[in-house]
Amino acid sequence: MEEIVLGIGITALAGALATVAGAAEDTESDIGSQGDPNSQVQLAPQMGYIHRIFNKAVSGEPPAYGAWCVIGAGVAWALMQINYNPALAIILGSVIAVFVQGIYCTSGYLGRIASLAKFQQPVYIDIIKSLTPVTMAHAFVAIFCTVAMCYLMASVLHHPFALPLLGLVWGIALGAAGSATGNPFYGKERQYQNQKFGAGVPISASGNIVRYAEAGQRSSLDNGWFTTKFAGPASGICFGLIVFLELWRTILFEELLNGWGAIIIGIILILVFTLIDRWVEKWGRRTYGPYTSEEASS
Amino acid sequence: MSALGGKASGGEGINPTGTVVGIIILLVSIAATYALGFSIVPLIGIIIGGALIGFGVHFVPVGGAPAAMGQAPGIATGVAMLAAGAGLAGLFGGAWAYEATGDFIVAIAGGAVGGGLMMAITCLMVNATYVFAMGIPAASGKVAKDPITGDTFPEYKSQGTEGHGLPFVSFFGGVVGGFIAGLGGTIIYLELFDVYLANLPALMNGATTESIQPLAVSLAGIFAIGFFLVNAVLAAYNITGTIEGPHDPKFKRVPRAVIGCAVASAFCGLISMLIIYNTGM
Amino acid sequence: MTVKMEASAGKLSEKTLMIYGIVVALVGIYLTQINGFTGVAVFSFFGGIGAIAALWWGSDTIKHLCSYGLGTGVPSAGMVAFGAGAIAMIAGTKFNLIIPFVGISLVPIVTLILAALIGAVIGYIANNIINMNIPVMIFSLTKLSIVGALTMLGFGAMCTGTFSFNGLVTGGLSLQMEPAAQAAANGAQMFTVTVIPEFAGSLIGGATLAVIFFLGAMALQHPFNACLGPNEQQDRTLMLALEVGFLSMIVVAVMSYAFLDIVSATIGLIVALIGWIYTYKQYIALSKRDAYEWLDAKPIKEVGGDQ
Repeated sequence: MEEIVLGIGITALAGALATVAGAAEDTESDIGSQGDPNSQVQLAPQMGYIHRIFNKAVSGEPPAYGAWCVIGAGVAWALMQINYNPALAIILGSVIAVFVQGIYCTSGYLGRIASLAKFQQPVYIDIIKSLTPVTMAHAFVAIFCTVAMCYLMASVLHHPFALPLLGLVWGIALGAAGSATGNPFYGKERQYQNQKFGAGVPISASGNIVRYAEAGQRSSLDNGWFTTKFAGPASGICFGLIVFLELWRTILFEELLNGWGAIIIGIILILVFTLIDRWVEKWGRRTYGPYTSEEASS
Repeated sequence: MSALGGKASGGEGINPTGTVVGIIILLVSIAATYALGFSIVPLIGIIIGGALIGFGVHFVPVGGAPAAMGQAPGIATGVAMLAAGAGLAGLFGGAWAYEATGDFIVAIAGGAVGGGLMMAITCLMVNATYVFAMGIPAASGKVAKDPITGDTFPEYKSQGTEGHGLPFVSFFGGVVGGFIAGLGGTIIYLELFDVYLANLPALMNGATTESIQPLAVSLAGIFAIGFFLVNAVLAAYNITGTIEGPHDPKFKRVPRAVIGCAVASAFCGLISMLIIYNTGM
Repeated sequence: MTVKMEASAGKLSEKTLMIYGIVVALVGIYLTQINGFTGVAVFSFFGGIGAIAALWWGSDTIKHLCSYGLGTGVPSAGMVAFGAGAIAMIAGTKFNLIIPFVGISLVPIVTLILAALIGAVIGYIANNIINMNIPVMIFSLTKLSIVGALTMLGFGAMCTGTFSFNGLVTGGLSLQMEPAAQAAANGAQMFTVTVIPEFAGSLIGGATLAVIFFLGAMALQHPFNACLGPNEQQDRTLMLALEVGFLSMIVVAVMSYAFLDIVSATIGLIVALIGWIYTYKQYIALSKRDAYEWLDAKPIKEVGGDQ
């Protein structure tokens, strides 16, 4: 019984850490402009729109966060092998992972922008100086929370995987959840704020991203300011739910029916989420209704 | 300044010569495994697991960069890595269930459910973002009517786009894709784990089954990730990046990927069996 | 995807790069064998140098492959290379047979051959079963798998000082004491001591190899992915390959403190830091050379568009 109570506590803590990690991950990738929405930042100069947005070309978020989290977890594991205190080891591991992340960010921006010289896009070196520390800070939160969560799974919940392997698995899942939930909000709602609300960006408008702010010129920091209002927390909920429910169904129901309990609960959860999704989809269709010709005409 | 290559001309349909050669590679791999004195049952499991991964990836609705602008339906990220995210989350659950129960069927079912659950939550949050934050209803660009719910799409598609969001059939595809990918990944992991756990102690001086366990877990885990990435990227090459789900015309290409992934898994499985080959070194 | 993939032809031909890459990688990995002859691990860092050479060559290969437009991004090619490379590398380390008279191990050669075989099979599948019909597909994936396997072998050798399977899976030895039969006469306690190899604390047993896996996969795809565009220059891309290679080497050097003595690990760290600082400065200088303009805190310069 006591073990189950401890397990529930760790499950809740891991879920909370995952929520923070997801929120920080998405905010980081939006400030840095990583992943699929970055294709528009890349495209804009080719269409004649010179901009001052960070163009962080470091692969998609799942492989990138898989790499950062596995570095954090691997270095933490190595330091624990030589008898470092786990808390210190996890912090040092995350610091080294963030160092690697920051260097990748700068080289990605310099590389992509220098290769756009043909379209007269200058390298704004102050973007690197002012925004790289911001993305590194968010990345540190995301990596530290993920590695700490993995450490709890390995040491308290006794998952068979070694710490680096857990870091890799959950790092990729973190990137997948964060990019899936957060990318449309950054890509459509923020980059194309000048387009109609409630409709997709017409393909003909591609590249015409918003480059000026309420006053002055839009920097990627403004994008982070915007996306933390929705995309960040939503990504956090997404990743937090994934981690929490995955642990919860195993900790509580593994013993039932020789292990089938956890599986049955998992299937019930999938069905519940399916029903919620269907409700969300129907709510959208009912509330917004079809596009009318007048709306669609411009 | 020159572009070094032309466009890839990936055609539809099955290339008969390639497929026959592929099946020969598969059979030779099985024969070689047998000739080296290993049981071929684990290799068959690995081949099935690899084929399942290749099959499952085709269900996952991925829209890539256009999806991030609401220009195309699907999840706005890369197909191979999204499937890897789901499959590895499944692997996490499957490996844990195997540790706790020791039951093969329970473990692979646990892996499959873990992958499906991950995709269910992710797809739900994608739709919630589209509907509640962006005010965009879901609409498919490839079909006029949802094959499951019967919803019609053309009037819900905003002008100048190929659709947006995740219609129910795509949600269903995502869950099924995560389920199958988790199942395939867990099968590969468990087959390799059992092989290493049974055979490594004899090869390492003074090792017991208990002390070899963490090594077998890590070896099988790293191999499973390697297999997963190879198969998922091959499947992603087959669908050239984006797919809406099981209703997409591209889904018809799935036999190629299943054959390709089975062949790749057979050959990689043969190589990964070499670990337990006693080279006397 | 609307981003066009273009690749520069460059001064160094692919063949030259391949020869340099393979030779330096193999020599670097073989130099770590001096550890075994001398009994000290200070030569481990040569493995890292070998791995960087492999990455340097691979970043050019990936450029040629991805200029065909695969439908998925550049990163997936790095992932498949290391997925195949990891399988070949772990299997290859089993063949630690010392060639008579020459005194060198078979491991790097066997790893290279296994990686080439896996890469060729995967390339054939992609090209002929999945019908991608890209002329360079088979050869490119063969080369990329070799790059993946040699990079992992090099960094693995740097981290642990050895590239034999037994060395990579054995973390240390622990002694287990069990009370044996009491000696009847004087009551003295007797113990039987068994030596148990400890596998959980090793490079593979602790899954630290997964770190090398992803460090390498990122470092392989990043140079071309970061530099693609109409003004991509080969020397800049290759300099970035060296930079991310040394950056990865820093992480490997930090992890090697768990496996090597302090002096050897510190030597690796210092070499990596010096190499990284130099190549990073060079890369920034080359970016400055190629950039249209290099501005600090200046407004947007309009060239057209809707303003």
